[in-house]
Amino acid sequence: MPTDELSRTFAALADPTRRAMLARLARGEATVNELAEPFSISLQAVSKHLKVLEQAGLVTRSRAAQQRPARLRAGPLADAAQWLTFYRGFFEGSLDRLDEHLRKNVLKGRADG
Amino acid sequence: MVEFTIVRVFDAPREAVWRAWTDPEQLAQWFGPRGVSTPLDKIRMDLRPGGVASLVMVDDASGTEYPNSGTYLEVVPPERLVWKDDGFPDGTGAGTVTVRLRNLGGKTELALHVVADFTDEMRAQAGAGWGSSFDRLGELLARR
Repeated sequence: MPTDELSRTFAALADPTRRAMLARLARGEATVNELAEPFSISLQAVSKHLKVLEQAGLVTRSRAAQQRPARLRAGPLADAAQWLTFYRGFFEGSLDRLDEHLRKNVLKGRADG
Repeated sequence: MVEFTIVRVFDAPREAVWRAWTDPEQLAQWFGPRGVSTPLDKIRMDLRPGGVASLVMVDDASGTEYPNSGTYLEVVPPERLVWKDDGFPDGTGAGTVTVRLRNLGGKTELALHVVADFTDEMRAQAGAGWGSSFDRLGELLARR
């Protein structure tokens, strides 16, 4: 079991059924039965997927209500999005500077030549 | 897979772009976003598959140092450079970066592809779901 939260998030997202379940939960909380509806898989399988999402902190489930509806927890997804945003920004910024660097050097090279 | 690609066209020959990535003296002049410096004396490049690369980025405003290291996986001048990036000491940012250069008659198209890295443990846990069907996290987030 991966220990850091970002790794757990990515591992939990590595399955199309779980991503579809998250997309459903993004529209509002749902019970296991409701989550199972679009899929041709057993309720047990849905419960298992839900458990992975729960362990990754992507989903919380009510302890009180009998149906125990699941609800999306956006925090870890935001962390994953932040990873993308940070590294994309890092390289975009670097490539801006590479462009300037090449302009200077190529112009210089052409002037020298 | 959690990944992204950036494509840019530079008004420079492919060899010049390749040198900018592989000559420490040149890399020191541009690597890192604005506000960050990459001092030449701390750049190490063993430019061959399996060779280790390391550098230190310095935040100009605060002086905070961000050491970074990686291992080259593919070195094919002047068209393809692939390395495994160890990320930052806290473990964030580990991934595989591919830089591909295409000759566009005097200009150069650069495609930079970054894939988040995962340990074998995580791959095992993800099981069969891990693979080509892994679409973009961004799409999922967009539907939130």
